[in-house]
Amino acid sequence: MSATTVTHHFDRLTTFILVLTGATVALGLSLALGAPMPAVAQVAVFAALFALAENQVAVLPNRASASASFMLAMAAIVAFQQDGPALAALMVGLAGGLYWPHIRSGDWRKILFNASNFALSSCAAAVVFSPLVGHTGARASTVLLLASLPAALAFSVVNLVLLAVVVSLATATTFGETLRELRPRFVQILPFALLGVFMGRLYLDYGAIVIPLFVVPILVARQAFASYLALKDSHQATVRILIGALEAKDQYTAGHAERVADYAVMIGREMRFTTPRLERLRFAALMHDVGKLVVPNHLLNKPGKLTAEEFDIVRRHEAVSVEILTRIDFLKPVAPSATSEAHRMSEGADDADRPIEPFIVAVADAYDAMTSTRSYRKALPQEIAFEELRKNAGKQFHPKVVEALIASIERAGARHGAGFEEQPHAFAVEPPTVGTGSAGLGDLADARSAPAPHAEAAP
Amino acid sequence: MSRRTRVAIPIVLGALAALAVEIFDPEGPWLVLVLLGAAIALGELLELRPAGRAPLPLSYAFIVVLVRAGTPSQVLATAGAALAIAFVLRPEATLWRRCYTTAVRTAAVIAALVTYTVVMERVSIADERWLVLLALVAAGAAEIAASDLLTALSARHSAFATQGRTADLAIIASGALMAISLDGIGDRDGMGLWGPTLFAIPLLAAWFAFEQVAAIRRTHDQTIAALSVVPELAGLVRTGHAERVAALSERLGAELGFEHEQIAVLRSAALLHHLGHLCLDDDAERERPVEPWEVATKGAEILRQTEELTPAAAILDGSDTSVASHILRVASAYDELSEGDPSKRDAAIEALHLGPGYVYDVRVLAALERA
Repeated sequence: MSATTVTHHFDRLTTFILVLTGATVALGLSLALGAPMPAVAQVAVFAALFALAENQVAVLPNRASASASFMLAMAAIVAFQQDGPALAALMVGLAGGLYWPHIRSGDWRKILFNASNFALSSCAAAVVFSPLVGHTGARASTVLLLASLPAALAFSVVNLVLLAVVVSLATATTFGETLRELRPRFVQILPFALLGVFMGRLYLDYGAIVIPLFVVPILVARQAFASYLALKDSHQATVRILIGALEAKDQYTAGHAERVADYAVMIGREMRFTTPRLERLRFAALMHDVGKLVVPNHLLNKPGKLTAEEFDIVRRHEAVSVEILTRIDFLKPVAPSATSEAHRMSEGADDADRPIEPFIVAVADAYDAMTSTRSYRKALPQEIAFEELRKNAGKQFHPKVVEALIASIERAGARHGAGFEEQPHAFAVEPPTVGTGSAGLGDLADARSAPAPHAEAAP
Repeated sequence: MSRRTRVAIPIVLGALAALAVEIFDPEGPWLVLVLLGAAIALGELLELRPAGRAPLPLSYAFIVVLVRAGTPSQVLATAGAALAIAFVLRPEATLWRRCYTTAVRTAAVIAALVTYTVVMERVSIADERWLVLLALVAAGAAEIAASDLLTALSARHSAFATQGRTADLAIIASGALMAISLDGIGDRDGMGLWGPTLFAIPLLAAWFAFEQVAAIRRTHDQTIAALSVVPELAGLVRTGHAERVAALSERLGAELGFEHEQIAVLRSAALLHHLGHLCLDDDAERERPVEPWEVATKGAEILRQTEELTPAAAILDGSDTSVASHILRVASAYDELSEGDPSKRDAAIEALHLGPGYVYDVRVLAALERA
């Protein structure tokens, strides 16, 4: 992007935000002059809670911040139904600009935009909601609940449209694309809208005492969720580092597990796995070769072919990997990923009994093995690796998985293999440039084609 | 019975009973009671499990609602039926445990009922709204206190633990909120069943979050335990060594007054104390056998790379100046000497006593004899 376009975008963006802020202020003033004023101190309580909810954004899943703060806007609309709900909603929404990271960095454009956006969308919700509940005095539960649906819709439409305008002005994405990406938020908002309506209703009857009763369980849930995220990060970091450190005993395959995990996740994404399933896949891929730790280094890195006896020792590592993986309940369903059994292709439908994960790890493993230099041969070029995977698709590898990996790598424009290795090693004995193999366990190709007596003995 | 089936049964039973009430006695108070009973039975199966605290069932929040919604006899009948259904569905393995838990829950119901009634009748506050809120919060606190005291009699959780108390707050606050939103107070109408239904959402969210925490903890502990057997599978140490040393270290730590957290660190260190061996083992040019200090140093070097296991690394290489390093040294030596065979206990302890005093700490040896 050239300097001129940056300035150009900057100008249009700033102008839009200033106009939006001006409109918000004008609307607020006209409402204040024409309608009853809600009690400022009471509105301030809701505004403070709204700002608090906005600042929790980092720990909530799927950026559900808008939903949690919308709950408070709805509560304010119900609580001030008799005295200026639109103005109350607008004032509470303004607090949405008070997001601490923006304040700390002095990013006034973001502060102004968020404040105006939340104020206008909350106000829109109030404008839709108030006539619907009309003169029922905002007490009949069914009316309140029904009216909160269009109110939530109004809130999310205004919120999303304004957000999409800003995102399309600030980045290269178009308005339509941004809107499509943001659309799923409406569904998240609904339960919060209903909760907010009831909170406002209780506030009308009992005053501020209900606020702690309402907020405490939400804060407890939030705190538990935050500690879950922290624990998950710490667990992932620990496993990654431990596996990396242990793997470092064999300097020639260092980084293998992590690269396999990365390829596996790429395949999983391509196959549209859910986030929890991707996490399990990454974990399983990291652990897939843990059994290799029981194999002595001099066998792992033996140049050339292994004897039948050595091959037997090396083969034992797969059983050990399975043994280790099945000790972890979370990985048990995908544990066969470490056996040769999984490498053999069958129809391989993806269901609970025959998950596709083992096939994914097998392909990721083979791809990394082929594109890395090993003691027994140099790294192959990426094209040869693709060709090899495709040639064995349906026999050794799952065809869908192979295509997913290739599609994902090609789309990302990534390059691996000969000439693109990150840290190629200097070998005492220069490895040959021919031959393919798997998993860095010596050149097994010959052992496979001429079955050694022990070759199929491992479970 | 799978967990899913167990959770489905109270829901289906509740729906059927509610339908029956709607058909045969739509005017009576039973619809609310039946649904609350189903919620209690379901809540018995869903527990908040913060670390360091005895599990807290969601049913306690619904019991507070029930206490407000029914007369004392209705409360006892409904809670009794719910607990009877929950008795059948409980995951506890032994009949004795099920009876014990059910007795604890019954005591909790009675504590809530008595506290609520006493506050409503004996305390005088002019504004009825404040009185009811006070009674509800007191009822919630009383049932949890009764339940904790009774649970502490049979479990390793202390009744006075300070950890995990936010779960109590969530239960008490949600219970009170659901109760007042159901029927209202005085001239202020409630919202009917919509109230408890919606205000149960934050509580369910808290339950879900605590479940996630428990699941990741379990996975983590299993990962460490799984890695601990790799040296055994590699044939470097006797099978079961890591787990036996970890169990003995935990006992010795408890004997010497370690806190919950310290014991957890000690356990990780004990489980992984041979991990370093994997990276030393097969140096082809190695001229002498692997020394224990090399294993410990290499292991500590690996563990120290992670933030979480750095305290465990300090125990391994002795840079932790507490008695923890000595515990691990004694526990590991004891297992080597006794070869995992309890009948060799006395001989092993005697051999440890003969070792040099700076290697095997006398406090730990004394604890070993007591353990």
